[in-house]
Amino acid sequence: MSAKGDMCYAWTKDAGIKGECGGAVTSLLKYALQNHIVDAVLTVKKGVDIYDPQPAFITDPKELDACAGSLHCGTLLLPKLIMKYLDGAKDMKIAVTVKGCDAKAMYELAKRGKINMDNIFMIGLNCGGSVTPFTARTMILEKYGINPDDVVKEEIDKGQFIVMLKDGTHKGISIDELEEEGVGRRLNCQRCETKIPRQADIACGNWGVFGEKAGKATFVEICSEKGVKVFDGAVKAGIIDTCAPEAKGLEIRGKIENVMVKMGKKNQKKQFDALGYGAKRLEFMQKESSRCIKCYSCIEACPICSCKDCITKDPNFVIPGRIPPNFMFHMIRYAHVAPSCINCGQCQELCPMDIPNALFMHAMQTEIQELIGAQKPGYDMTQSPLAYSEDKKDSGFVFIKMP
Amino acid sequence: MEIKYVTTTCPYCGTGCSFNLVVKDGKIIDAQPSQRSPVNEGKLCPKGVYGFEFINSPDRLTTPLIKKDGKQVPATWDEALAVIAENFGKYKPEEIAVISSARCCNEDNYAMQKFARVVLKTPNVDHCARLCHAPTVAGLNMVFGSGASTNSFMDLANCSLAFIIGSNNFEAHPLAARRIMQAKKKGAKVIVCDPRLTPTAKQADLHIQHYPGTDIQLLNCLMKNIIENDWVDHEFVDNRTNGYEELKACVTQDKYSLENTSKVCGVPVEKLQLALQWLRENQHKTAFVHCLGITQHTVGVDNVRSIAFIQTLLGNIGKPGCGVNALRGQNNVQGSCDMGALPNVYAGYLSVTNPEAAKKVADYWGVTDLPSGKLGLHIPEMLETFEHEPEKLKCLYLLGENPVMSDPNSKGVEKAMENIEFFVVQDIFETETTKYADVVLPGSCYAEEDGTQTNAERRVQRFRKAQDAPGEAKLDWEIMKMIAAKMGYADKFAWETSEDVFNEMRKITPQYAGITYAKLEGDGIQWPCPTEDHPGTPILHITSFAGMPDGKAKLQAIEHRAPAEVIDEEYPFWLTTGATIWHWPSGSMTRRCAQLDRDCPTAWLEMNKKDAEKLGIADGEKVLLSSRRGEVAVAARVMDDIKEGVFFMPFHFIEARANLVTNTAYDPVSRTPEYKVCAVKVTKQEA
Repeated sequence: MSAKGDMCYAWTKDAGIKGECGGAVTSLLKYALQNHIVDAVLTVKKGVDIYDPQPAFITDPKELDACAGSLHCGTLLLPKLIMKYLDGAKDMKIAVTVKGCDAKAMYELAKRGKINMDNIFMIGLNCGGSVTPFTARTMILEKYGINPDDVVKEEIDKGQFIVMLKDGTHKGISIDELEEEGVGRRLNCQRCETKIPRQADIACGNWGVFGEKAGKATFVEICSEKGVKVFDGAVKAGIIDTCAPEAKGLEIRGKIENVMVKMGKKNQKKQFDALGYGAKRLEFMQKESSRCIKCYSCIEACPICSCKDCITKDPNFVIPGRIPPNFMFHMIRYAHVAPSCINCGQCQELCPMDIPNALFMHAMQTEIQELIGAQKPGYDMTQSPLAYSEDKKDSGFVFIKMP
Repeated sequence: MEIKYVTTTCPYCGTGCSFNLVVKDGKIIDAQPSQRSPVNEGKLCPKGVYGFEFINSPDRLTTPLIKKDGKQVPATWDEALAVIAENFGKYKPEEIAVISSARCCNEDNYAMQKFARVVLKTPNVDHCARLCHAPTVAGLNMVFGSGASTNSFMDLANCSLAFIIGSNNFEAHPLAARRIMQAKKKGAKVIVCDPRLTPTAKQADLHIQHYPGTDIQLLNCLMKNIIENDWVDHEFVDNRTNGYEELKACVTQDKYSLENTSKVCGVPVEKLQLALQWLRENQHKTAFVHCLGITQHTVGVDNVRSIAFIQTLLGNIGKPGCGVNALRGQNNVQGSCDMGALPNVYAGYLSVTNPEAAKKVADYWGVTDLPSGKLGLHIPEMLETFEHEPEKLKCLYLLGENPVMSDPNSKGVEKAMENIEFFVVQDIFETETTKYADVVLPGSCYAEEDGTQTNAERRVQRFRKAQDAPGEAKLDWEIMKMIAAKMGYADKFAWETSEDVFNEMRKITPQYAGITYAKLEGDGIQWPCPTEDHPGTPILHITSFAGMPDGKAKLQAIEHRAPAEVIDEEYPFWLTTGATIWHWPSGSMTRRCAQLDRDCPTAWLEMNKKDAEKLGIADGEKVLLSSRRGEVAVAARVMDDIKEGVFFMPFHFIEARANLVTNTAYDPVSRTPEYKVCAVKVTKQEA
């Protein structure tokens, strides 16, 4: 019997699952679906190729096999899809694979009453960062000198982005080097501190799998009672096998996480400093936002935005039918979202005019957090949403609590 | 419960963005980004985000309608086909006209022009490219031997000067505008020539706010100075062109001096000089970008040619970050032209008057009575004939078009529609045009069919079926197949799938010959793609102008001419018209999308503050706008952003129909109407 906080190496007993490292995640999802612990699985699968990750909504366990393996171009965020298309898991139990940003998004949407956490089972995946499909293809062509269509698999390991070709050969370039040259991971990923998503029920990955099982097992950390129950059930049913982790492995995992968190903090400072402060920053934000074409992608994708009638649609604040919209449009977003911004990066990735929305939002969030002494958003289900909204009735928000 | 994502391409503008349609239990409920596409990388404009909302509107046509005793009543397909077959059979080929649709896929367009030529045997086939970029097709064809954009969107991000003229790409082609902004971020300069201070012009380093219809004056002036300063790329011009001396003699005339141009265009000399300086500093890295502000003129073809000339003189052709970038309007207007839904060419731009080409097509289709050898009527000619000589033209088969809203001089169009003896319209909604039809047929929208479409950078991409069409609506090419079968031509339309249509088409269309559905997965392919192992062609004319008889571009003398209608005492203001980011031309789709409609519910008339002051008109006041064609009541929007002496009105709104006042005068070569210039007056409405 395991307990919250337990860690082990795990691997699947199912020969049909070709996992990234041990196949435990796919196995657990299959087990949960087959035994009606959940009604469906929401995860990510390959579309036309490895540069085309698509959400997969799965009710047939057989379809899970195709979802095994990592996709570093998987920049999409899943939780809001549950709110939009699955009625917030109100009447349906759903298992979801989550990166750090997905896990935080789930928490913040749940706090706002948009997702029923009782019906959500999260399997967290270690994430060192994702690369947008277009950046990946361009950088593989230009920096690696390889036709992106010849790449069958990519991975991030020991600080390198490594591509593997059909003929088995591979090539890696240091992520730092790529990012010096303006490519590599998304900017928000470079700033991220949530590398092991312990908000999930079970956190999995390959960091810390050392020794005999290296490459053949998944590192598992149980993070909740729900996680205990499901994991033990799977072990008992003979779906997965486990063994204790090597001490050296634990050390390595801790090191990797620390290094990445440090890197994240360093990149935050670097990117936020480059923004300037005070009037200089405001000027820059206004200049960038002057390209806005009011597509609403930032609002549609943002896991903090969930009001039925967004205040940006109120003609008293934002004159309809003008582009660029007056700056109040963006100020409404900053006021309502910045305190709770989880740095998922969707608003910047999806902006058709490349306005660095996530950079602005995350910069504000870190300053607000320091100012009011709050916890980081997306980590603590017991902390109320940090937001201010006109529409108290609809969104169930509370005002910012000053210390 | 089943939820799936179907990746498809957008049905609105010619940028050709991809997105995912979210399908729940067989019905489309939302759109989501698809980051895979190299065109838009998952990013979308408001129409991409919300423009799917019309798909499951309760207004969708679900059965055929037949006019009985003056009323349109639902009918079965059998009834409708019987009525159509009987009536189509009554007319002589030259009495019939067919209008295809730039919004429908390549397969639909190929089928439509085949139907017109094989079943109806009429040469009169055209479509709405006529109303927008026909001058680009004709103009670039005359100069370069190929009527399509020379470079690619991604490539625009590589220029160091973007010269934008007659294009409000921030609103009309936002994801193409993004590439220009990426260039700007890397240090490129942006020049925008437009009578309005549009959202695009607001991003410019230099805004040249010239009067509508003075583009040739402007371009010739620039060319005069380029020649006189000896900035011409002589190596390029000597080796790759003919006609330089003729062009030189024309543009170096005194009338194209900076001083005179400043007067004619209403632009300070300093601005022209700055433009020249930047053209020189960024030679071989300058992209010209144009759209309907250049083409929708009686001199549209010449406007386009002038752009081609200036780029040729500078040697800015066949290189990255350069070229003539025509931002095609409709999602598939490039494709519908490629498919030969035009009165002068077959698929692949084989001329109908070329006996060899005609024989090739006839043999391929297995027919002997193709209406070849003569040019068919263009849309403006069709409408004119229906309006004024209805004894000559009696029957119209119209696909996916709303002329009562989209064509100039609405009153004339309505008269034409009334006069049509037998009128069949195939559409997805009832529109202002369908009410004149004898038979209305329910077609499918983009989300309900498999097919291909071709964007403004010649990229062929897929439409993928996400849901079934509602009720008894059918695929557009399928409907043509059914009518053809009823009329005894089943064997000529023996397709089971859209892929069958595509495969038949590509065998006779050189630019598409190497493209297959399988090859289109992922990035799509930019034509020409002559063989199946060819990767496609991002940049044209790198070493030769292959479509020209001697491989060389043709330079000529082109003089500035005034628009067909100029301002005078009675009508003292210029009117120009255009689109907005929220709506598509006639609004039948976008006005049914709540989120789009909310931002932009009705029309307005942009009026400069100084003019408003003189006229005593307040912001928001309803005024009567009138021209020699008609009048329309519309609310004034008083602002600084429009040039003094010029008004602007969007054309999406039936309740304030801009085309009631626009001019039918058209370019003699391309027949494209002069939507961008006419003379109007404004009067205060009685209280």
